[in-house]
Amino acid sequence: MEEEVNKPGCAETLPEDAVIRLEQATKVYSLPFGDVVALDKVCVAVMPGEFIAIMGPSGSGKSTLLNLIGSLDVPTSGDLYIDGRDTRTLSDDDLTELRRDSIGFIFQQFNLIPLLTVLENVEYPMILKSRQSVKGNSRARDLLLKVGLTEQMLAHKPKELSGGQQQRVAIARALINDPAILLCDEPTGNLDQTTGRLIMDMLSEVNRRGKTIIMVTHDADVAAYASRTITIVDGKVA
Amino acid sequence: MIFFEMAKRNIRLNMLRSFLAAAGIVIGVVAISSMGMLGSSLTLSVTDSLSTVGDSVIIVPVVGQPGQNMVTTESLITDRQLQQIVRVVAPNEAVPIYAGADRIEIGPDKAVAALYGIRPSQIPIMVDIADGIVPRSTSGALAGATLADEYDLKAGSRVKVGNETVRITGILEEQGMGFDINPDNALIVSDRWYSTTYDQDDYDQVIVKVRDINDIDAVKLAVERTLNRRDDEVTVYDTRMILEMIVETFNQISVFTTAIGGISLVVAGVSIFNVQMMSVTERIKEIGIIRSIGTKRFEVMRMFLYEAFILGLIGSGIGGILSFAGGYIAISIMLQDTSYLFNAQTLFYIPYGMGIGLIVTLVSGLYPAWKAANLNPIEALRFE
Repeated sequence: MEEEVNKPGCAETLPEDAVIRLEQATKVYSLPFGDVVALDKVCVAVMPGEFIAIMGPSGSGKSTLLNLIGSLDVPTSGDLYIDGRDTRTLSDDDLTELRRDSIGFIFQQFNLIPLLTVLENVEYPMILKSRQSVKGNSRARDLLLKVGLTEQMLAHKPKELSGGQQQRVAIARALINDPAILLCDEPTGNLDQTTGRLIMDMLSEVNRRGKTIIMVTHDADVAAYASRTITIVDGKVA
Repeated sequence: MIFFEMAKRNIRLNMLRSFLAAAGIVIGVVAISSMGMLGSSLTLSVTDSLSTVGDSVIIVPVVGQPGQNMVTTESLITDRQLQQIVRVVAPNEAVPIYAGADRIEIGPDKAVAALYGIRPSQIPIMVDIADGIVPRSTSGALAGATLADEYDLKAGSRVKVGNETVRITGILEEQGMGFDINPDNALIVSDRWYSTTYDQDDYDQVIVKVRDINDIDAVKLAVERTLNRRDDEVTVYDTRMILEMIVETFNQISVFTTAIGGISLVVAGVSIFNVQMMSVTERIKEIGIIRSIGTKRFEVMRMFLYEAFILGLIGSGIGGILSFAGGYIAISIMLQDTSYLFNAQTLFYIPYGMGIGLIVTLVSGLYPAWKAANLNPIEALRFE
C-alpha cells in the first residue's frame, strides 16, 4: 500500500546507470470507441548486462512495452530513457538513429529483407550507419560464420534458408552495429523445440558476453533462460 | 548504394509490370518528341519558304468607310501621297505598285494570273531576273518562275493579257511566298502599260525597301506621321513584324502539337503512379522491417524514388531513340520532306521529350514514395 503512494516519485528509486529507464511511462491509444490505456504508469529499470523476459497474457501491453523500449513509439506521458537519452524529446530521425545504433531487433517472423542476400541483410544496418559501401569489411561475414552459417549460404536469399538459419541471420544482423540492447519478440515462436533451444543457447551466449537482452515470450521454458522476469497484466507491472 | 540496388532488384522482381510502366513512358516520350519535331520542321520549312527578309515597309491605303475620309474612299494611294512618301523615306527608295489580275492566254491555254505594274527602273529592286532583261518597251513583261514553268514561257513568248498582247522579255527567279508581292505566279509589266490598259492612275500599294534594317521603325513612323496626321489615310506594315507573327503562330502550333503528345505522357505518369503505389502496398511489411532496424524516412523515400527514376530513365532512353524514328515518320508523312530533321532546333525535341518523361515519372513517384516513408513502422511491421 505504501509503495502505491510513493509511486509518483519512482524516478528517484530507479538506478541512474540503468540502460533503460521507464518512469511512469503511460501509453494511451485513441480509438473510435474511446481511449485504451495499454500501459499505465510503468516503472521499470534494466541494468546493463541483464537478460530480462517480459511475460504476460495477450493484450496485457507487453507488445506496447516492447515498442516503447524499441523506440518505435514514445510514451504518451512519463519518461523513457534508452542508453541515457530521453526518447520523448527525440525527433523521428533521432529515434531511427537510436534504433539503428543502440538496439538490435530479433523478431518472431525473422523479418529479413527478401530483396537482399543473407550477407547483405547483415551488412544493411552497417551501411545505414556508416553511409557508405562496406566492401572489404569482413565483419558481417565473420558474424554469420560465428552464428553457424556456412560460406555457401551467404549469397542466398533469406527465403532459401530454414527458419533456424534465418533466425541466426537475424541475430547476426541485430549484433552488427554492436548495440547496447538486444530486443527479442518471441524469438523461438516460429521454430521447433530443438532449433528454438539452439537459438536460446546462442542468445544466452551473447548475454554472457555482456549484451543486455530484453525478450518478450509466453513460453515459460524460454523465459527460464532470463535472469529476471517482468510480468505485465492489464498494462501494469504485476 | 544499397537503396539504388534494392530499387533495381524490385524492378527486376516485377519485370513485366515495370516493363509495361516504362513502355507507357516510351510512348509518351515518342509522342511528345515526334510532335515537337514535326512542329519544329513545319516552322522551319515555312520560314524558309518566306522569301522576304525583313527589309520592306508596305504602305497600303486604309479601306475607307462610306461618308468618311474623302481622300481614301477610292482605296488607292494618290500621286500626292506618293510624293509625300518619297520625301519622308529618302534616302530609301519607295516603289509604287499597281496590283491586279487578269485572264491570260498563252497559245491555246487560258488562265488567270496576277499582274504587277512597276516602273521598269525599279523592277530590279523588287525581283531577281533569272533569264532575260527588264522590259524596255511598254508592252514588255516579265514572267514569274511558276507561271513560266507551267506554260513553257521563254524570253520572246507572247501572252495575251485581257485584250492586249505583251511580249515576255525575261523570266524571274523563284521567289517563294512574300508579303509585298508574290511574283512566282504573276506577270510583271511596266507601270505605264498597266496604267494605260486599266485606266488607273493611283497606286495599290507602295513598298519602301529599307537599306539599313534598323531604320525600319523610323521609316514606318515617318510615313505614319506624315500621312496619318489628320485622318488615317494609310496602313503601314513592315515585313519583319509579319515574319515574326508568322513564326510566332507556327511556334504556337508546334507547342500545341507537343501538348497533344504530352497527354499520352500524363497517361504514362498515371501508370507509373499506379505501379509505384502497388510496389509500396506490396512491400508494407518490408518497409516496416527496414524502418524498425534504423532506416530513416527520407531513405525509404529515396528508395522508392530511385525505382520511379529507373523506370523513367529506361522509358525515356528507349523513347529518345524511338522518337528519332517517330519524328522521321511524322515529318515525312506531313511534310514529305525530312531535310529539317537534322536541324538542331528539331533534334532539340528529343532531349526535351526525354527530360519531360523523366520529370513526369519522378513527379508520379513522389506521392507513393512519400506514402511509403510516412508509414507507421509498428503497423507496417504487423502487416501481413
